Amino acid sequence: MFFTFFLQFMMPIRVLQPYRMPRKPKKNNRLVTFSPFGRSIAMATRSWRATKEVEKPERQNKDLATSSLNGFKDNIKDKIQQSDSSDDEEFEGDVQADFVFFDPKPDDFHGVKLLLQTYLDNLQWDLSGFVDLILGQPTVGTVVKIENDEDDGVYSVVSALNLGRYKASSCFLFCDSKCVLELKDFLLKVCQDMYVLGKLKSLVGEHVQHVGLLVSQRVVNLPPQLLPPLYDGLFEEVEWATEDEPTKELQSSFRFRFYLIISKIYKHKNADQNRGTLKNGEESVIYNRPEDEIFFEVPSGMFSVLLLSYQCANLTSIKCFCSLAHGHSVFAYMHSRLLLMRQLKNYRPMGLVMAVEACKISSFREQLHLLIDE
Amino acid sequence: MRLYNSKPDEKRLQYENNCEVGVFSKLTNAYCLVAIGGSENFYSTFEAELADVIPVVKTSIAGTRIIGRLCAGNKKGLLLPHNTTDQELQHLRNSLPDSVVVQRIEERLSALGNCISCNDHVALTHPDLDKETEELIADVLGVEVFRQTVAGNILVGSYCTFSNIGGLVHPHTSIEDLDELSTLLQVPLVAGTVNRGSDVIAAGLTVTDWTAFCGSDTTATELSVIESVFKLREAKPSALVDEMRKSLIDTYV
Repeated sequence: MFFTFFLQFMMPIRVLQPYRMPRKPKKNNRLVTFSPFGRSIAMATRSWRATKEVEKPERQNKDLATSSLNGFKDNIKDKIQQSDSSDDEEFEGDVQADFVFFDPKPDDFHGVKLLLQTYLDNLQWDLSGFVDLILGQPTVGTVVKIENDEDDGVYSVVSALNLGRYKASSCFLFCDSKCVLELKDFLLKVCQDMYVLGKLKSLVGEHVQHVGLLVSQRVVNLPPQLLPPLYDGLFEEVEWATEDEPTKELQSSFRFRFYLIISKIYKHKNADQNRGTLKNGEESVIYNRPEDEIFFEVPSGMFSVLLLSYQCANLTSIKCFCSLAHGHSVFAYMHSRLLLMRQLKNYRPMGLVMAVEACKISSFREQLHLLIDE
Repeated sequence: MRLYNSKPDEKRLQYENNCEVGVFSKLTNAYCLVAIGGSENFYSTFEAELADVIPVVKTSIAGTRIIGRLCAGNKKGLLLPHNTTDQELQHLRNSLPDSVVVQRIEERLSALGNCISCNDHVALTHPDLDKETEELIADVLGVEVFRQTVAGNILVGSYCTFSNIGGLVHPHTSIEDLDELSTLLQVPLVAGTVNRGSDVIAAGLTVTDWTAFCGSDTTATELSVIESVFKLREAKPSALVDEMRKSLIDTYV
């Protein structure tokens, strides 16, 4: 029984950052998806949405927690009256959401943990410890929530963790804390290529003090317009931390030379090379996240110092990272997920590990702006 | 200081990195159901602890793994939602002891685990449950049924867990409500959290009269509250329990 109402988080979205950045009122933009494939999915879900009726508004209002949804009830009633209306869907049933960026706090534990559930594929590891590391670093890292959300749901988290910094409190100096150890073991285990393995070993071994793990997870339908400020904020915080942290040791721990990124992609089963389109017009790689496309794109290693992909063990279960307050979007996601699965039958889910030189980050930021702000 | 003369009867575990053990398992005094899938760790923890006392059965309900939230039961019976498949029903009937009546019921609210919370004598149910369902619960489970809310939540099955010895309820339950519930249930109750501040008690904790399993995120403080209210320690009561007893309403009649 599919849920009937798909809400897109459309513009206007105001990005409020109480501490550093000024308010940036945005223009009315269409939702931008970052690949032709993604766009076709967005079109498919729109047309599907137009043909269904809408459920009772009372239940909607109970689920939707934000206060900026006053226009919403009227939208639903309109839709009931014109149930077969077509696609003037720019403003009908769209939700206005004010996203706010916060520093990570210990209270965000459950939300961040939910976002990181499949970070290392289906490995059982000390995820709680890892989340504690992220939340214990309020100076570098951002958590995205909705303003005045009753449920206080976390919609995205980004952070940069120095893998060489976290040592187990029980032993003296030399052993890493449990979650970092398990993470490193996982990375070394999934690497099949000997050449890459050598590089990876040095990154997590002798050069680990200069490596920052770039953690960036979000709910599936988070508007991509949030990404440039999110990443800009993160890299600026890293810069500031190299000056503002209380001890010299902490300051130098943020002078990253490399960023390590763990992510997921879909690779076409027949793809021999890593990029390019196949003869029937299908793309060889589909990215879950736009920034991966930028990092992964350049074959000559302009961005990626290291690149490895590994077979994902467990992607049959549908893991939805939407918070309870927006439960309706879970169902819409599931329906579009079914469409996705039909179209993805030729693709294999893969995990992706990339290492990027820190000096190239400024051009990454530019490219991200170009990609998203168009 | 407390003296432990037996190993702690608390097990902290997780199912696929998820600490909601009450979602993927159903534990009673006569049997234990565990969801299929996930690593063997989850199943083997239950087995190691319980296998020589009660049967531990792997199953799915309605093809899903969230069996703890879909079914409700005690030592006398097990109630299954209408979308349980015939094979699952047969499998459960075969695997569970004959003393346990396994019944599939036609009820609109199919997440029975969220709607019904029970021990071997009393059950609390969702206020909107059908009359026939209420009668069936009383018959099959052999309990007295009360329609109640817990801290204003109608999903009583999610927000409280109780055994024949004690119970844990939603942290925002008022003293009057605690009083009232404790009188109905005839066991001491305490308002608390599980899994590091989560208020969905039944998702993070499953109990029998002699043991309890909770999610691995549960803090030491939460654990000590659970151990005290469910009387899981054989050692003599510590000061903590004595203190707590003042705020617990003991209504042994």
